[in-house]
Amino acid sequence: MGHVAPHKWADAWRGKLSESEVAAMDRHAETCARCAKARDRITRTSSVTFAAIKNAPVPEVSWDSVRAKVHWEVSSAKRSARQRAIRPTRAAWLGVAACAAAGIGLLVATGGTDVPAPPTPAQPAPLAHAEPVHAPAAPAPLAGMVSLVSGEVMIDGVRRTDLFDRALGTGTVIATADGRIDVQFGDHSAFALGPRSKLELRRFDATEVRLVVDGTIDVEVAPRAAGQRFLVEAGAQTIEVRGTQFRVVHDTNGTRVACRHGLVAVRDHAGEALVGAAKKVDVTSAVDATKVATLSDAELAQLAEATPVTTPLWIDDLAHRSSILELATSTHRDARVDGVEVGPAPLRVRVMPGRHTIETADASGRFHRAGWVDAQAAEPARLEVATPEPTAPASPTPSIAARKRELATGIAANRPKLGRCTRAAAKSGIEDLSVQIEISVDATGAVRFLNVDSDLTSVTQACIHDALAQIQFGPGPAATWHERIDL
Amino acid sequence: MLSRVKRDTTGTIAALDPADEADLIARCRADERAAQDELYHRFRRQVAGNLYRVLGDRGDLDDLVQEVFVIAFRGLERFRGDARLSTWIYRICVNVALGKIRTRKRRPAAIGMADLDTAVMDPSLTERPETPAQSLQRRQDQERVYRAMDTLAPKKRIVLYLHEIEGLDLKEIAYLVDSNPVTVRTRLFYARKEFYKALEGAADGDP
Repeated sequence: MGHVAPHKWADAWRGKLSESEVAAMDRHAETCARCAKARDRITRTSSVTFAAIKNAPVPEVSWDSVRAKVHWEVSSAKRSARQRAIRPTRAAWLGVAACAAAGIGLLVATGGTDVPAPPTPAQPAPLAHAEPVHAPAAPAPLAGMVSLVSGEVMIDGVRRTDLFDRALGTGTVIATADGRIDVQFGDHSAFALGPRSKLELRRFDATEVRLVVDGTIDVEVAPRAAGQRFLVEAGAQTIEVRGTQFRVVHDTNGTRVACRHGLVAVRDHAGEALVGAAKKVDVTSAVDATKVATLSDAELAQLAEATPVTTPLWIDDLAHRSSILELATSTHRDARVDGVEVGPAPLRVRVMPGRHTIETADASGRFHRAGWVDAQAAEPARLEVATPEPTAPASPTPSIAARKRELATGIAANRPKLGRCTRAAAKSGIEDLSVQIEISVDATGAVRFLNVDSDLTSVTQACIHDALAQIQFGPGPAATWHERIDL
Repeated sequence: MLSRVKRDTTGTIAALDPADEADLIARCRADERAAQDELYHRFRRQVAGNLYRVLGDRGDLDDLVQEVFVIAFRGLERFRGDARLSTWIYRICVNVALGKIRTRKRRPAAIGMADLDTAVMDPSLTERPETPAQSLQRRQDQERVYRAMDTLAPKKRIVLYLHEIEGLDLKEIAYLVDSNPVTVRTRLFYARKEFYKALEGAADGDP
């Protein structure tokens, strides 16, 4: 027997050959090193390698990006097709031109010398040689998803119940009464429309976002790519940004623009003013670049608190992968979801599936845990927050000297962390920083509550709170006390 | 609507029954964005997996997946329903892959080492975790397979892949490559001979 054809080994492995044929091939392979090697290789390939290829995991693809491109390409093609259907064809233009020329020729041939000169006949003729005109393809539309609603909000003049299920696009008009609405339209890109405000999404697509506002809007925009524009029109003024967080207030007194970070350009017929981080400009009649001023700490903190609520993920089927959490309260109270302030409840906010911790503020502004709620995708979740019983303010307890010493030791150990928290404020020239704390430690040494109060920004305050919360107390007397801490 | 996507307990999207499939197609034809999203989410992994396995590398995979879906959405008007939607989309994948193979100007190693690193062996195929030596062996074997397939003409390569790796029969392959079973059988015969010869040659070239 001669050498075995390689594909015969694959046939043998698949059981396509008779037993006698396979036995003869094997006998040959015992004496032929080349065929034996081919048998081993092909058998392993057929049995293991093919299976490994067939079961190879699917590589990750930029699914959302691909989906957007597919949508863009398909919809562009459909639009172009519709436009082609409307536009007269080249043949039709040629027909018109030919008819016009024939008509003129007939008039001349019938000797009509007193025939008035024809008014520029056969104009369409050049079109027969012109390149077909293609309308520029329209950019991909953006879809805004509501991430938070509190109070009364109207979309296109109607109080809708399906706010969270709607994708907001070009032409949508949003109006608020006493409420607020946050709309996310990309990763870290969202706007929050304040009370008694009206907003029109005049353009809302991949190349340009143009919002026309009357009232208050807080915007956070991720850095825009080249060719992408983001504009807010407020009366006669236009505010253009690349990537930033800012607030625009437009009312009868004029337009006020405050920028938390990044850079915005405020323009009108009179000129342009560049408003950088922690700056503001008030425009009463015309833009004046000399009126750009620095924001105070309180104003900066206010801007920080007004940051639009966004979901951690921006995915194309967000509506079905997220849940709408309703926080029901009998009175207006500030609320936090997973430590993030979302404004005064009652409200509804978009959250991702999972367990969420809710805190609400009491009359003095201190946050207390109100409960937790498990949210599931595409299903609404609700937490009813009971009105807290009025409690007597915590009074300092005796025998706190030991606890105070422990706190002082802990603060000394955490000085570097506290220093990092106050670095920004110190750099701004603010001196003699201090905070007022209220702390309660039980007999086991666990901190029951810790409240930090100061005029510093909420970010700094939170940082100080975190640093102090790391201080360890040992077993001892339970104590609750107030203390001023110099930083 | 996406909410109508049924998922089985393993987390994968369950197959559509014919009525739901017809409904989905009708809604896609009516330019319903949610239906198009559903179709995309249902088939995106299948499409990417098919293309990846046929071609053996992930270069341009994003573009190819996009091309498949663009063709699918544009062609839905002409989809007659003589095959399941998944088969029809598979057919588009095969044609897109065939086009890609034809237009490859140069032929690099069909499956790069970076790709092979991620092509983890299905745990069901091995009782014990792979040793580094086994992993290297598997990667080299896969590379040899794709190198041998690269020596075939595109039409032969597709037919061989569908038969030898995907395990499809002649009739199924004939539908996917838009040919008839007799032609496929002839093409497969020569493809197998050439492929296994190339594979044996690759073995001979081993150190």
